[in-house]
Amino acid sequence: MSTFIKDFIERETISRRNFLFATAAGLGVAAVPGVFGRGTAAAALTDPAIAWSYRDRASAYWNSVIAGGEAFVESLGRPKSALVSLINEGSTEKSLSDIKAFLAKNNGNCAIACDANDSPNARPVVEAVQAAGAYISTIWNKTDDLHPWDFGDNYVSHMTWSDEKPAEETARILFEAMGGEGGVVHLGGIAANNPAVERLAGLQNALKDFPNIELLDAQPADWDTQKGAALMASFLTRYGDRIKGVHCANDNIAYGVIEALRAEGIEDMPIVAYDGNPEAVQMVMDGQLLATVFTNPHWGGGISAALAYHAAIGTFKPSEEPKEHREFYGPTILVTARDAAEFKAKYLDSVPAYDWKDFWGPSNGQIQYKA
Amino acid sequence: MTRRLSRETLIKWAPLLVLIALVIFFTALNPTFFSLRNFARIAIAAAPALMVAIGVTFIIVMGSIDLSMEGTVSLTAVSFAFIFAQLGGSLAGFGWIAIPLVLVLGGLIGLLNGLVHVKLKIPSFMASLAMGFVGTGAAILLTGGDIVKVGDAAFRGLLTVRWLGFPLMVYVAAFFLFVGWFIQTHTTLGRNFYAVGGGEDLAHASGLNVTRVRVTGFALAGVFYAIAAILVVARIGQAESVTGANFMFVSITSVVVGGVALWGGIGGVWNALVGVLIVNVIDNGMVVIGLPDFLQDGVLGLLVILAVVLSTDRKMVSFVK
Repeated sequence: MSTFIKDFIERETISRRNFLFATAAGLGVAAVPGVFGRGTAAAALTDPAIAWSYRDRASAYWNSVIAGGEAFVESLGRPKSALVSLINEGSTEKSLSDIKAFLAKNNGNCAIACDANDSPNARPVVEAVQAAGAYISTIWNKTDDLHPWDFGDNYVSHMTWSDEKPAEETARILFEAMGGEGGVVHLGGIAANNPAVERLAGLQNALKDFPNIELLDAQPADWDTQKGAALMASFLTRYGDRIKGVHCANDNIAYGVIEALRAEGIEDMPIVAYDGNPEAVQMVMDGQLLATVFTNPHWGGGISAALAYHAAIGTFKPSEEPKEHREFYGPTILVTARDAAEFKAKYLDSVPAYDWKDFWGPSNGQIQYKA
Repeated sequence: MTRRLSRETLIKWAPLLVLIALVIFFTALNPTFFSLRNFARIAIAAAPALMVAIGVTFIIVMGSIDLSMEGTVSLTAVSFAFIFAQLGGSLAGFGWIAIPLVLVLGGLIGLLNGLVHVKLKIPSFMASLAMGFVGTGAAILLTGGDIVKVGDAAFRGLLTVRWLGFPLMVYVAAFFLFVGWFIQTHTTLGRNFYAVGGGEDLAHASGLNVTRVRVTGFALAGVFYAIAAILVVARIGQAESVTGANFMFVSITSVVVGGVALWGGIGGVWNALVGVLIVNVIDNGMVVIGLPDFLQDGVLGLLVILAVVLSTDRKMVSFVK
């Protein structure tokens, strides 16, 4: 065997051994907090890498979430690019594998904010993060039996939004504009989506107080403008003049409804929407919409990253926080004609400078599970 | 002999018979379905989809497939909205220039699509799907995920101004349907589509430049996708990176339901028209008769299978892939 090959094999063997040692040492470090248990300085991370794992950049909603995340990393004196985007494109498998790759690349020195894409995926994601000794905050998707406090400090928090109450409030505004009587149609989101279910439930709650309002029909328009327009046109054929008001599950559907009505020359139909997108807020100001609901995705995106980051560097210790700081509802702001201009100036024209250490200020109470 | 002729005739007209049967069926369950107002509503929803379907019909007649429509429609819609705003945002001013520019853009995207397919020898299925993704990506890049509004009253006249009960956009779609029919029956290109689809080897051996026909076909389809994009913007007053979403399913389903054979050489723009109408009549009719929403997807699927079974001559086909 030539010396070159012998040297090469020797060198590779040594470097592989070093690698194994290094890996073992790394695992040891990760295990240290577990060994010493509660009370020790578990948050041993310095300068963790920060990532946001989410669906895509094709919607105003996620863009706003990520803008919030970027505002947070800039508040740390880092460039926007310090926030790594892990885009899952609606694939649960990609969501999990991207997070695992990110953990491996940074040896677990990570603070991650994440929407797990679907509820069952939250558990493997959180388990992978805990195994690597990293920190994670989640929003929207998780199963009801998965709780941050079951994972020590590593699963920092979960935030979601309860849409039932705000959707009920928009329904009440709609019914009052209709004079408390007549038929109403609901154009919903994708039927199995939780927000779609809650927004319809909100409408049904409000109906109990308005006996002269009849819910003519409620069908899914899949959050989509064109589907909303086509469905509204079909509703017009079926119910005609009996429709006196329209309750939409989101702003995009409402845009389609307005256009379907415009095609028929109907200009003054009372319509309410949801999401508080800039275009919808403008329509509220112009009187085309009665109300929409803003969930402040910018704040949600920033604060989720901030919670994971500050737990990681030890600013606070999640396991010592009360449960309402581990699982909580995000903010919802009702936007109506009365306050739309003020709202636009405050939240849309210039983004407010948030205090990213005020973790729970704008939040909305502990998450309640239905039995 | 006469028996065989009648069977062929029947199959040729089967999609139209399916359409008429559906109209009678929905009207029987809810008479308001059969009204001018409702037909106008169906036509508004069908007009953009018809343009996409005509575009892809040319490709399917050639025996290829084009899956780039979603990306192309999104990108051309967003480009149209931006260029239109840039040129003053009004049809009365220079805004109209955006229309030919976007048609050219659609043609260029299709041309690129065809060149990738033919020159790199990538199956049309894969090449066009990839180009579609590129188009959607470019649309996201342009908009940053935001919605671009087009509010010009003159342009929106395509939706709001009616003539004999139908909005102008329906007449625009009808005009381009005739353009598609003219290309199909009265031009060499149109006949070459059928030559390539009916037997590519034979066409090649007869001296036909198959490569050129294919690339031209994809470019032509791109122009029709751009027309669809403009009609969508006219219909909903906005463009965004998801404007083209759903058009792949709707257009290909329509074309096949209308009796265009996926193996090439059979069918044409009239089949595309009937197919688009069948799909849109089903969509509208299911809501109008009050079918529960959880049944609608299933029923749509079953009706599509039924329509294809009735409208294709499967005795002529030795294998299905």
